[in-house]
Amino acid sequence: MLKNKHDAIAVIFANSYDNEVPSLVNERLMASIPFAGRYRLVDFTLSSLVDCGINNVSIIVKKNYRSLMRHLGSGRPWDLVRKNGGLNIVPPYAEKGIKVYNGRVEAVASILEFLKGCKEQYVFMTDSNIVCNFDFTDMIRAHIDSGADVSIAYKNEPIPYGFMNLQSTQATDLYYTLDLDGNRVTSINTNSKEYGPQNLSMNLYLTEREKLIEQIEKAYAQGHIFYERDVLAPMIETSKICGYEFKGYSARITDMVSYFEENMKLLNPDNFKNLFDGFNVYTTVRDDNPARYCSGSKVSNSLVADGCVIEGEVDNCVLFRGVHVGKGTHIRNCIVMQDTVIAGNCDIEYTIMDKEVSVASGKSIKGERTFPVFVPAFKQIL
Amino acid sequence: MAKEMVAMILAGGQGSRLYALTDKLAKPAVPFGGKYRIIDFPLSNCVNSGIDTVGILTQYQPLVLNEYIGHGQPWDLDRLHGGVHVLPPYQQAKNSDWYKGTANAIYQNLSFLRRYDPEYVIILSGDQICKQDYNDFLEFHKAKGADFSVAVMEVPWDEASRFGLMVTDSDDRISEFQEKPKEPKSNLASMGIYIFNFDVLEKYLEDDEANPDSSNDFGNDILPALLRDGKKMFAYRFKGYWKDVGTISSLWEANMEVLNPESSGINLFDDDWKIYSRSSGKAAQYIAEGAVIDNAMLTNGCRVFGTVRHSILFAGVEVEEGAVVEDAVVMGNVKISKGAKVSHCIVGEGATIGENSVVGEKPSPGNEKNVATVGPGVKIGARAVISGTAMVKEDVEEGGKC
Repeated sequence: MLKNKHDAIAVIFANSYDNEVPSLVNERLMASIPFAGRYRLVDFTLSSLVDCGINNVSIIVKKNYRSLMRHLGSGRPWDLVRKNGGLNIVPPYAEKGIKVYNGRVEAVASILEFLKGCKEQYVFMTDSNIVCNFDFTDMIRAHIDSGADVSIAYKNEPIPYGFMNLQSTQATDLYYTLDLDGNRVTSINTNSKEYGPQNLSMNLYLTEREKLIEQIEKAYAQGHIFYERDVLAPMIETSKICGYEFKGYSARITDMVSYFEENMKLLNPDNFKNLFDGFNVYTTVRDDNPARYCSGSKVSNSLVADGCVIEGEVDNCVLFRGVHVGKGTHIRNCIVMQDTVIAGNCDIEYTIMDKEVSVASGKSIKGERTFPVFVPAFKQIL
Repeated sequence: MAKEMVAMILAGGQGSRLYALTDKLAKPAVPFGGKYRIIDFPLSNCVNSGIDTVGILTQYQPLVLNEYIGHGQPWDLDRLHGGVHVLPPYQQAKNSDWYKGTANAIYQNLSFLRRYDPEYVIILSGDQICKQDYNDFLEFHKAKGADFSVAVMEVPWDEASRFGLMVTDSDDRISEFQEKPKEPKSNLASMGIYIFNFDVLEKYLEDDEANPDSSNDFGNDILPALLRDGKKMFAYRFKGYWKDVGTISSLWEANMEVLNPESSGINLFDDDWKIYSRSSGKAAQYIAEGAVIDNAMLTNGCRVFGTVRHSILFAGVEVEEGAVVEDAVVMGNVKISKGAKVSHCIVGEGATIGENSVVGEKPSPGNEKNVATVGPGVKIGARAVISGTAMVKEDVEEGGKC
């Protein structure tokens, strides 16, 4: 096997933690939430996988997946148009037996036949609410070195506020912390409320394909739902489950405030460098023209994507592709998604504007850092 | 399956008047307007005009161009039947040769054209910046019942003697050519864009090839032969933006015109006529606190901590704190270090401008055509001074002058 190819496939769960960011997933799902000026959340994982030589990627979607399908298309921007493998989007009801799932066990059960037909030795499973530049190659190496049956990627960080205060009333949004002895996982804790840095699971797992099939077939037959709670936790004694610490930069979206903050954090050049200086990050190409900074505009500490036209003043903002900021308008601490048009003489602060919003001239919109105003997609503020 | 019209883009030119910029790449691959290469314009025009079969004739330094075109996906030209094909000279059973002239280049690829059995062939130049609907041109050609048509621009009479001119009658039928004449009889300058009926093109290229005295050039040989034989030749007046960017100063000027779409006429912000290009795939641009950007166009991957005025920055350009960039065309992945002053110049891809160095200068009135040029990949040392007329091809050491 060539060094840059890996004997692994990947399964991405696209609707993970949707319930925690209800406004953003009104017409999309977690994986296709815009991030960092020109990306969707899933771009980061997809790109890292591809750059690590993993070309067989299944994305399991549950609902609101039209925007994701439009974004992914045939998978060309990620070089995932492959004769062998490539991109495989799995919606519910697509085949006999594929239903809307609740947990990972049911989701994976719906692609068991696909998994059985693959030839690769390993399977990565991951959520889509974490943005990072992840070295899957290194994790495979660590997995083989440790002789683990299952490896779980984790980050040593405090439990985010969003997790401590889960919005969801259906108990489907679970998070996990790991107790470790060396790298061996000795306990998987569900929805722990501990303060301070914890070994917080990234919900990114690596195991052998045949072992996964066996685990899932058994668990599904027994009516289990959650992979971590119902499959991994009970096998801690009998199997070897290892933790794999991810030490790089990551952004975890757990609620609206973290969405806002994680975008804003990228205005710090060090953070930006840490996220983008690893593997390439691919996304769809829109053929926008270069961004135009007109005479008299003022831009400070901001990320700006191609296609923007700026006539006014922009401070501490993230502007996605094709945003227009009119003359005399001043926007501060805002996230403005693709193709939103703000006319002249507006004053806007701490606001997240979804895509294709239009704001008439002279409007004033003000949120707070702890409570950014959210303007839904296609809204016209007249 | 026959195609009504196939496009052939002449992209073999060395572009020697672009000096350092075309040392390692053909002129059509020269970057333009922040995220494009010159060839994007004829290619996008083809696609936007509904032409889905395009041959690109390459000869000089084709590597960058080949890689850039690839299978044509960025222009939507990866097609089952047709699409974009790069056509370098190739070895044949007898007579292997470089392309001897523009006509010979097409002649050597007649078999490519025959595969598509076109009614018309449009011949384009790979070194012009132009937004043109070739459909309008073809409609004109058909309406006139022409054998051959050439797109022309009306130029001011006092400049006409710098151009190749088409002298026409009241019906736009061509009666005479004048190549840079002292006393122009017309102000219709040829844009080097031709439509031929394919059978006419085929016959005249074969006749031309059989003539050992021919220079195998459209302008010198084919067009005069058509005229001599009384073929129906017409001049199509094109009214949009057109610029030959064959020299450093015209390339610089055309880039500067992009900054002023309202009056210059080149509008890259046209959703109905997009110019496609291969994406750099870089992240969004970052403008730091304290940075100043005034009337500029920047592309993804740029990081600006200093000052940028009236300039175009291509993908991945870094401008460090205290650096000032003014009236400059800065191509991809250039690094401009702290305190450097870069003005009225073109900086080639991947060059490095050292700390506190000075590159180019604001020209005195009347000398605007002086544009300093730093070649691709060149390293300018700290505190070096590059004059306003310099053409730098090799690294300049710390404190050096050029």
